[in-house]
Amino acid sequence: MVEVRRGPVEKGEVITEENVYDRPDETIGFFPSQIVADLAVSAALLAIVVALSYLVPAPLTEPVDISTTTYVPRPEWFFMFYDQMLMFFPGYALIPFGGIVIPTLVFILFFAVPWLDTEPGHSPVKRPFMTIVAFLIILTVVFNLLLGIIRILNFPGGSP
Amino acid sequence: MISRIKGWTLGVVQPIADWTEERTGVVTMLEHFLYEPVPKRGKWLYTLGSATLFLINLQFLTGILLLFYYVPTTDNAWDSIYYIMTDVYFGPLIRGIHFWSANILMIVIGMHMLRTFFSGAYKAPREINWVIGVVLIMLVTILAFTGYALRWDQEGFWAWEVGIKIGSYTPFVGAYVATFLLGGDTAGPATLARVFVIHVWLLPAALAPLIGIHLYLLRKHGEFGSEFEYSKRLAELRERQQIEEYALYEEGDEDSRG
Repeated sequence: MVEVRRGPVEKGEVITEENVYDRPDETIGFFPSQIVADLAVSAALLAIVVALSYLVPAPLTEPVDISTTTYVPRPEWFFMFYDQMLMFFPGYALIPFGGIVIPTLVFILFFAVPWLDTEPGHSPVKRPFMTIVAFLIILTVVFNLLLGIIRILNFPGGSP
Repeated sequence: MISRIKGWTLGVVQPIADWTEERTGVVTMLEHFLYEPVPKRGKWLYTLGSATLFLINLQFLTGILLLFYYVPTTDNAWDSIYYIMTDVYFGPLIRGIHFWSANILMIVIGMHMLRTFFSGAYKAPREINWVIGVVLIMLVTILAFTGYALRWDQEGFWAWEVGIKIGSYTPFVGAYVATFLLGGDTAGPATLARVFVIHVWLLPAALAPLIGIHLYLLRKHGEFGSEFEYSKRLAELRERQQIEEYALYEEGDEDSRG
């Protein structure tokens, strides 16, 4: 039985692979504790995926008919918010902005996030600006996703 | 009981481990990888990253299995998938796993990105890992998009057409983008061949090394315990550990000389 120490790490104390397990209050060993958690989540996901593949078979619609004029294409759910956002950029003059320019700018901003965030500290509470921006982005995506779903439900034969 | 099993196991395993260690150094490497102190309080949040890795590995595995039957030609693509879904042993399971884990991957990778963002894990010295992560999420999105065009059914084909249409509105280079993705002026055999190459060769080949760098940088800087200001303490511990190791090394040096 290993001695279990609690409280903050004392000065001069070194956490090594031998004693890392003795500090349940601060650290866990990557092996086995973290790996067990990782495996648990992965196993749960695998079970969900296997169950879904039997309960809801992967879709396969009818073969391609290139000459059709009545088929209404629908995006996958993870593109629905993007598809919906295009509705706010009607006409040939605006589509390049909604479809390409703005998403490109958003991705450039994503790349620049570490250099844009100059607020000290790591906690989201200590970085109100970035936190608010992130929430606005999440709201935009979720709101547009819902709008897209509602539109597709209301106009199953194609948007007006 | 446990110690007896341990002693017995060691007797069998130790010689094999020593033999392998002398020739490859793999045991030391494993020890180095496995015995790493990680912050306890973020335990379940950190599983988002490993879940992403797991789902991407599932994609690679089931994708390779699907390639045994999938035929990337306009005449046979749909039929080969129909065959997978009706006649191939475990075909619906393999394709189902590929389809559903791709869908769940989109959710999990998004949650992983949000976790990283809200915990401020992209701050120095981890900026490059954030940038690589953004590239990875882009690649995964394009993989998801090209994936359902490969079915060469109505849904996938027309979605791909819409994607090319949007791409053709790219300022200045729109026409070239559309020609590149279509493989000509209209959709045809060359289009499917391109979707196939992009989905099966180009993007996975780009994805794999980037995941490697992502993991290397993760290990270099250690897992992040940001929201609890843990990283600083871990760095201090590492420093002390290194000092102690160096002291031990010097001690050993003196011993060998003396």
